[in-house]
Amino acid sequence: MSTSARNRELGGERTIDALVEIAHRRMAPRLARVRRPQARVGVVPSPLGRLLVAMSEAGIAMIYFLDVPHGNAADAIAMLRRRFEAIEDQPAVAGIGEEIRRFVAGDLAALITPVDLSLVVSPFQRRVLERLRKVPPGAVMSYQALAAAIGAPRGSRAVGNTMASNPVPVYVPCHRVIRSDGSVGNYGGGVSSKLRLLRAEGFRIGEDRRVAAGAVLGHQRTRIYCRPSCSAARRADPARMMIFADSARARGAGLRACRQCLPG
Amino acid sequence: MASISSLAIPPTFEDAVRSHERGLMRYLMRTTGDREDALDLFQETWLRAYRAYPALKAGTTLRPWLFRIALNLCRNRARDRMRRARVMVHDGHELVDRATVPGGDDGAIALGSAINALPPNQRRSLIMRKLDGLSYGEIGASLKCSPESARAHVYQALKKLKSAAD
Repeated sequence: MSTSARNRELGGERTIDALVEIAHRRMAPRLARVRRPQARVGVVPSPLGRLLVAMSEAGIAMIYFLDVPHGNAADAIAMLRRRFEAIEDQPAVAGIGEEIRRFVAGDLAALITPVDLSLVVSPFQRRVLERLRKVPPGAVMSYQALAAAIGAPRGSRAVGNTMASNPVPVYVPCHRVIRSDGSVGNYGGGVSSKLRLLRAEGFRIGEDRRVAAGAVLGHQRTRIYCRPSCSAARRADPARMMIFADSARARGAGLRACRQCLPG
Repeated sequence: MASISSLAIPPTFEDAVRSHERGLMRYLMRTTGDREDALDLFQETWLRAYRAYPALKAGTTLRPWLFRIALNLCRNRARDRMRRARVMVHDGHELVDRATVPGGDDGAIALGSAINALPPNQRRSLIMRKLDGLSYGEIGASLKCSPESARAHVYQALKKLKSAAD
């Protein structure tokens, strides 16, 4: 039998259309269970270079630095598409570049768009990033301290890996995590971007790329801040300490001054 | 600033597949010759392709990939039907294709009653494994026992059936 004769037997093109429609109607509930949410993707200019930004219904799902040596938009989009239907939409993401520009210019309340951590699959990494979001502007923690803060004191390497794969840098402030020796360490968007963000938050960082100069140390448990030279601070577990750019920022985060070293 | 189009975001699955849907349905109708089967396999193909689409290598042509999924599903279904038909006959509940039964109806009925005589968990495990093609893990989950126990149930069931046949 010829193909056309067979098609006629099966009911012709109108029947095929009707069948496709029925199939779609029947699979709608199953599709709803597995459907990937949409993410609107665009490129925005920022003081940290061009950023690929993806916005889901819930918030920013991805920020990716394009102007770094290993920056590859195709990799970023492939990663995004595992969880989202990526759709080009420049206007949907335009506001993010502006928020970052204001933040780098010193408006520390500029980052108001919510964050969507759907791309973070590992529960450990999610815990780390959720905790990191509570580190306020003008404060930094060491990888070790962040690991201790989520109850994994030996997990500083894993914390480092989590920072490296943070899908929403700047908004999930992985630039606020530094090495235990006070040097700023590395950054996915380039060390110069990390320095820029930390300086915008009030840290005075010298040629040696250390943040300690002029900073105060805050204890996560006791909620007390001290001068770095204070004997109480030296006795405290370094894994519990946060570094604040200055006393005002430590007070802003709800800590009180040490009565021994009177940091002001 | 680079334009967004230089990012080369692939189309969404729904946009990409739309122009192939009618061809796929026509293909399934022709392959299965049955409206309900074609409808089922269309949904199965579509949903599988939807799940796998993000991992599809850039530059892969969608149509042959889609039809390959459909063809594999048609084959799976045909194979499962064969297996089911055989087991159904052996099970003694329904005689689907007598010609495929070695030893004829008597053998089938004897085997059916041997299966019915098995302890409940062994019978259930055997049916789930051989009739429904479930994994031991899935059987274990449904019988609230470990996958190893599920495997042991099936082994014991087969052993008893074999000795009943001898």
